[in-house]
Amino acid sequence: MTREFRVNGGLVDRSKTLGFTFNGKAMKGHPGDTLASALIANGQKLVGRSFKYHRPRGVFTAGSEEPNALVELRDGAFTEPNTRATVTELFEGLSARSQNHRGSLEFDILSINDMLHPFLSAGFYYKTFMWPKTFWEKVYEPFIRSAAGLGRLSMQEDPDCYDKGFIHCDVLVIGAGPAGLVAARAAAESGARVVVADEDFLPGGRLNAETMEIDGSPGHAWAATAAAELASMQNVRFMNRTTVYGAYDHGIYGALERSRDHIGDSGGKPRQILWRIYSKRAVLAAGAMERPIAFGNNDRPGIMLAGAVRAYVNRFGAAPGKKVAVFTNNDDGWRTAADLAASGIDVAAVIDVKNSGHAADIPGARHIPNGKVVDTSGRKCLKSITLNTGEKIRVDCLAVSGGWNPNLHLTCHQRGRPQWNDELSAFVPGVELPAGMAVAGAARGKMTLASALADGNDAAVSQLESLGFSISAPDIPKAEDEPVNCTPFWHVGESSSRSWIDLQNDVTVKDVKLANSEGFRSVELLKRYTTLGMATDQGKTSNMAGLAILAEARGSSIPEVGTTIFRPPYTPVALGAFAGRSRGRHFRPYRLAPSHEWAKSNGAGFVTVGGWMRAQWYVQSGENGWRDSVDRETLATRNSVGICDVSTLGKIDIKGGDVGAFLDKVYSNTFSTLPVGKVRYGLMLREDGICYDDGTTARMGENHYVMTTTTANAVLVFRNLEFARQCLWPDMDVHLISITDGWAQFSVAGPNSRNLLKKVIDPDYGVSNESFPFMACGKVTVCGGVPARLFRISFSGELAYEIAVPSRYGNSMMAALMEAGREFDAIPYGTEALGVMRIEKGHVTGNELNGQTTALNIGLGKMAGVKKDYIGNVLSRRPVMVSEDAIRLMGFRPVDRSRELVAGSHFIAMGDPVDMKNDQGWMTSVAWSPHLGHSIGLGFIKRGHERKGEIVRAVSPIHGMEMDVEIVSAHFIDPQGERLRD
Amino acid sequence: MTELSLFSTPPLDGYDKSTGDIRLYSPEALAVVSIALPLGSEDSALAMIASAYGVDLPSPGKSVIATDGARLVRLGLDQAFIIFPHSAPDAEDVVQGKLEDAVYVTDQTDAWTALAIEGSSTRDALERICPIDLHPESFAVDDAARTVMEHLGVLIIRAGDNDFLLLSASSSANSFLHALETSIANAG
Amino acid sequence: MIINHPLLGPRDASEFAYLGDVGIIDRPTDWQADDSIKNFVEYGYLRDNPAGDHKELWYHEQGDRSWLVVTRNTLTHEISSVEMARDVARSRGRGK
Repeated sequence: MTREFRVNGGLVDRSKTLGFTFNGKAMKGHPGDTLASALIANGQKLVGRSFKYHRPRGVFTAGSEEPNALVELRDGAFTEPNTRATVTELFEGLSARSQNHRGSLEFDILSINDMLHPFLSAGFYYKTFMWPKTFWEKVYEPFIRSAAGLGRLSMQEDPDCYDKGFIHCDVLVIGAGPAGLVAARAAAESGARVVVADEDFLPGGRLNAETMEIDGSPGHAWAATAAAELASMQNVRFMNRTTVYGAYDHGIYGALERSRDHIGDSGGKPRQILWRIYSKRAVLAAGAMERPIAFGNNDRPGIMLAGAVRAYVNRFGAAPGKKVAVFTNNDDGWRTAADLAASGIDVAAVIDVKNSGHAADIPGARHIPNGKVVDTSGRKCLKSITLNTGEKIRVDCLAVSGGWNPNLHLTCHQRGRPQWNDELSAFVPGVELPAGMAVAGAARGKMTLASALADGNDAAVSQLESLGFSISAPDIPKAEDEPVNCTPFWHVGESSSRSWIDLQNDVTVKDVKLANSEGFRSVELLKRYTTLGMATDQGKTSNMAGLAILAEARGSSIPEVGTTIFRPPYTPVALGAFAGRSRGRHFRPYRLAPSHEWAKSNGAGFVTVGGWMRAQWYVQSGENGWRDSVDRETLATRNSVGICDVSTLGKIDIKGGDVGAFLDKVYSNTFSTLPVGKVRYGLMLREDGICYDDGTTARMGENHYVMTTTTANAVLVFRNLEFARQCLWPDMDVHLISITDGWAQFSVAGPNSRNLLKKVIDPDYGVSNESFPFMACGKVTVCGGVPARLFRISFSGELAYEIAVPSRYGNSMMAALMEAGREFDAIPYGTEALGVMRIEKGHVTGNELNGQTTALNIGLGKMAGVKKDYIGNVLSRRPVMVSEDAIRLMGFRPVDRSRELVAGSHFIAMGDPVDMKNDQGWMTSVAWSPHLGHSIGLGFIKRGHERKGEIVRAVSPIHGMEMDVEIVSAHFIDPQGERLRD
Repeated sequence: MTELSLFSTPPLDGYDKSTGDIRLYSPEALAVVSIALPLGSEDSALAMIASAYGVDLPSPGKSVIATDGARLVRLGLDQAFIIFPHSAPDAEDVVQGKLEDAVYVTDQTDAWTALAIEGSSTRDALERICPIDLHPESFAVDDAARTVMEHLGVLIIRAGDNDFLLLSASSSANSFLHALETSIANAG
Repeated sequence: MIINHPLLGPRDASEFAYLGDVGIIDRPTDWQADDSIKNFVEYGYLRDNPAGDHKELWYHEQGDRSWLVVTRNTLTHEISSVEMARDVARSRGRGK
C-alpha cells in the first residue's frame, strides 16, 4: 500500500489491514477507516461524476452530508447504489464502484453535457422540451429517462433481510458528540432509561476529528471512555451506526440502525433495522455542519470542506493533499491549517476573506487577508487556485470553510421554524420544538466545546427534572472556549466561471440568480425550479448559500427569505428498511380455513379473500380447466350433495339482556321477535340508507344470538356494532365477541344433505323436516359427542344446512362429512361453484352490495321495516332513493343463448345511443349456469321489476361488446323456494 | 354404518423449538373462555367470580392466577378471559358451571392459538414486533395487553420475568409463528 | 401518535381506528319527526372542521375494543384529553 497519503496519528487500527476494491482496483485500508478515508489514503481523488453535467467530483465532506462521493457497494444482487463513501465503514473485501458515468469514471461520455451547459440552465427541462409536442413521448422522455437517475439497481431481489423494532425510553439522546455524551451521562446517572443514538460507528462526534482536549485528555479519548461507561450501564442502550431520521408526534422518533452494513456477510441477520423509538423526552445534540463558499470551479476533486480535511488528517490519518490551501471566512478554518501543519502537511496559504489577521502562526503558510479564490484549474484533480489578485497558487487540495450551520433538521419535523442568528450568521432552532425535545450544543448554536459541554448538561437536567428524576450535582468536563468568529460570506462575486452551490444537483450561483430574475422569488419555488437541495443530500451543504444568494438577488435579508421545510428522513433510508420483513409470502398475514389441510391434499386451488385462503375449486383428473371443475361441483351439489367450508364468514357471539332490541336497531328488519332456535336473514344499512352488509343471525338462546357477516366486512361490522352499543345505546346490556376463528363451519347443500348429516349428527338430535325445519338452528353433537351447531340455511337454493364444530376439528370434520357422503357421491366445492349457485338463486354479495345500492334496489325493500328506529331507516326514505325510476336487481339472459354475458356491461334500451344519458343500469355478476346450459347474470336496471321479458342491450365499450339480453327474474332456480323447505 | 370420529388438530399443536436461550412452544391444551359482566350487575358478577375462583378479577390490563390455577385476564371494563389447562371441547360449560348466570360466557379456545416464549433474551426478540413497552417497570409479571404485532392482534401476558404467553387468532397461526420465529432469528 | 387510554395507559395510534367528530354520537332520537330527514342529513353529513381542538372518536380495535373520545389539536396533534366514549355518550343523553 502506498504510504504517500497516510500521516501519523489517527484513530484507525494500523496493526490490521483491510483489502477492498474501487472500480475493480485493489486498495488497502485499516479498521476505523471509512471508504472515503481509505480512498483518500490511497490517493484516489476522483470518486464520481455529478448528476447533470457529469463533472468529475471528489470527496467533499467527512460525514453524512456528503453530496459527491456517492458510490455503488457490493456485487450482483447485493448491489446497493447511492451510498455515501464518507459514512461507509470499511470492511475486508468491500467492493465499491463509482457511478453516474457512461464509460469509465475517467472518460465519461456524458461529460459532453458539461460543454452544453449554456443550454442546461435552471428550468431547462421546462423550457427545452416544449416543442415539438409529438417529440415528448418518442424522443425526449426516453432520452431523459436513460440519462437521468442516480446509480443503478441490480434488478434482482435483495438477498439481504431487514427488520423493524420498537424501543421505549425516558430520554433519547440524539448524537454522541460532546454535548450528547454529557447529556446522556447526566440522564443515565439519574436512573432514567436512556437511549443514545449516533450515526457514526465511533462515538464522539467532532471530538474524533479535532485535537481539542477535555479534562486534560484528548477529546476522542474522553469520548471513548464516556461512551464505554454509558454502554456498560443497565439503564442505557448505546446505539452506534444509528441515524435518528425523523421526529414524529408525541415523542416518537424513527431511527435506522445499520447493524450489519459494516460486515461483508450479514450471516442471514438483518442488515439494517428500522426502529420506532418512543421517548418521553429527547435531547437533540446533532452538532453542526460546515458550509462551503461558492467560487469559480469550486467543485474540483481536491476541494473539500475545511473541517473534513482536518477530520481526515486527525481521525483517519489520511491526507487529502500534499500541498493544501485554506479558504475561510471564520476562525475555524485556521484550525485546519494549524492541524495540517502539525501533521507535517505543507500548508501553502490561508486565504481569509476578513482583513484582520489571525493569531495562529502556521509554519510555512502565507496569510492572505482580504483574499478570495476566484477560480481553480485541474480537471480530475485540483492543480491550482487563482486569487482575486490574479495570482495562481499550485495546490492539490483546497480546504474551504464558510462557517457552520447547526443541525436543526429534526426540530423542524413538526413544523417548527428555525430562527436567524446574526452572531453566528446561521439559523438556530426556533421556539416551537417537537413535544418533549430539547436541543443542546452546536445544534443549538453553542459552537465552542466548553459551551457545548455545559449546554448538554443543562438540557439533560431540565429534561430530567420535568420527568421527576433527581439530579446529582453536575460534573461538567473542562474544555476550551475556542474562537469562532465568522464573517458572513457566501460566494465570490468576481468569479466568471460557474460557481457551484448544490454539488449533487449541479446548481450554480447563476441558476439561483436566473430563477429570481424569472420570478421564482419564493424559496419554495426556487427549490423546485432549480432543484437546489432536492437531491439525496437534501441540500445539507448547499441550502444556506442558496438562500443567501437569493436574498442578495432579491435585495432582502436571509431571515426574510426564510427556509424551506425540513422533512424526514434526515438522511436517506433504503426502501428495504421500510419494507422490513414484510415481503414475499409474509407481506401480510394470511388466514387459513379450518379444513385447509384437507383441501390442500384433495386438489384444491386457493384464492385470497379478505386475507383468507379459500378453496376455489377442486381439480379432478380428466378436467380441462377450471370450468370443468366448477360445472361438475355445481351439478353434483344440485343433484345430490356438496360440501363447502364457509368458516370465513364473520361470526359474532352476542349476549345480553337487550340483544333483541339492539339487533332491531342495527338491522333493517326485526330480530327481537325471532324465536329461540330460529335463524333469520338480516340486512344492515349504513346511516345514509345504503346497504352495508348482510348475513344470517341465529337466536341460540333467550339472551344469545350468533350473527354472521360477510367475509370481507367482518371487522368493520364488529367495529360498528361496538360503536352502536357503546356510543349510541350505551345502556343496553349487549356483549360482543368474535368467534369467527373458533368454529369450522361447513355448508352441506343438495337434496341429499339431510341424509348425509343424519350419519354425522348423533342420534339424540332429530333433523327431520318437522323437527328441524327451514331456518331452524340449535346445538347438536356429532361423531359421538363433539359439540356442534346446526343451522338450516341455504345460499345455493337447495335443501341445505350449515354445521359448525370447534375449529380444531375442521380437517377431521371435512373428512368425516366426505366419508359420510361417499354413498351419495358427495363432493367438496369451492368459492367458484358457491358463486355460480348464488347467482342462479339470485342472492346478493359484494358485487351487488357495492356501497351504492339500497334495500329497494336489491329487492328487499319490503323486508326493511319502516315502523321502527334502525340505522339507515330515515335516510333510506329520502325521495331520491325511492323514486319510481330506481334501479332494481334483476336476472338477465342472452337472447342468443350461446353468447356469454360480461360483468360490468351497461344496459341501454333498444335504439338508444350508447352514452351516459341513456345508461339504465349495469350487470353486476355473471356466471355460466351448468344447470340451465347458458350464461346468466344479475344486474341493476331502472324499474326492472316492471320490465320482465323486455329485451335491452348490454354494452361494454371497453370490450367492444354489445348483445341483446332479456330481463328475467333474479331467481333462475326454484323461484318459489320449494327445495329449501323440502 | 361406519363409525365416524373426529380428531383435534389445532394449529401449531406440539410446536416446541429452542433457539439460543429462547424457547418458543405451543402450550398444551389451553382453554380460553371469555366472560362478560352484565350491565348493571357488575358487582354481583365480580362477587361470583371472587367466590368461584378465590381471587378478585383484577383491573383492565392485569391478570391474576386463581386458586385452581386458572389465569383471569381483565381485558376491558366488562370483559375478561379465563385461561386454563383443559383439553375437552366443553370449556364454556366448565366456566358456566362455576359462574352460573352471573356472567355471559363464550368459548374462545378455538378462536385463538397460543405460543409461550421464555428465556433470558426473550425481550430482545419481542421488541422486533411488540409495540408495548415490556420493561418490568412498565409491564410487570401478570400484566396483560392486547396489541398488534405484524398486523396481527395479539394478547400478550407476562407470566414471569422472561416468560410471556402470546395469543393470536387461530386462522393466522402460521403468520403468527413466522413473526415470532423471525424475531427470534433476527435478534439472536 | 400516542393515545393515552384512560384504562390502559399510552398506546400507539396503530392500535386504533379513527371515526370522526364526536357529534356522531348525537344521533337524532326522533326518527318519526316531520323534519327527521333534515335532522339525519345534518347528523350524517355536516361536520365542523376546526383548526384547533377537535373532539373525535377513536376505536381501540387492537386493544380493549373501547370507543374513546379524544380531544386532539388538529394543528399540533397535541392530545389534551381522552375519555371513554360510553361515559361521554351517557353525558350527552344517550341511554337505551
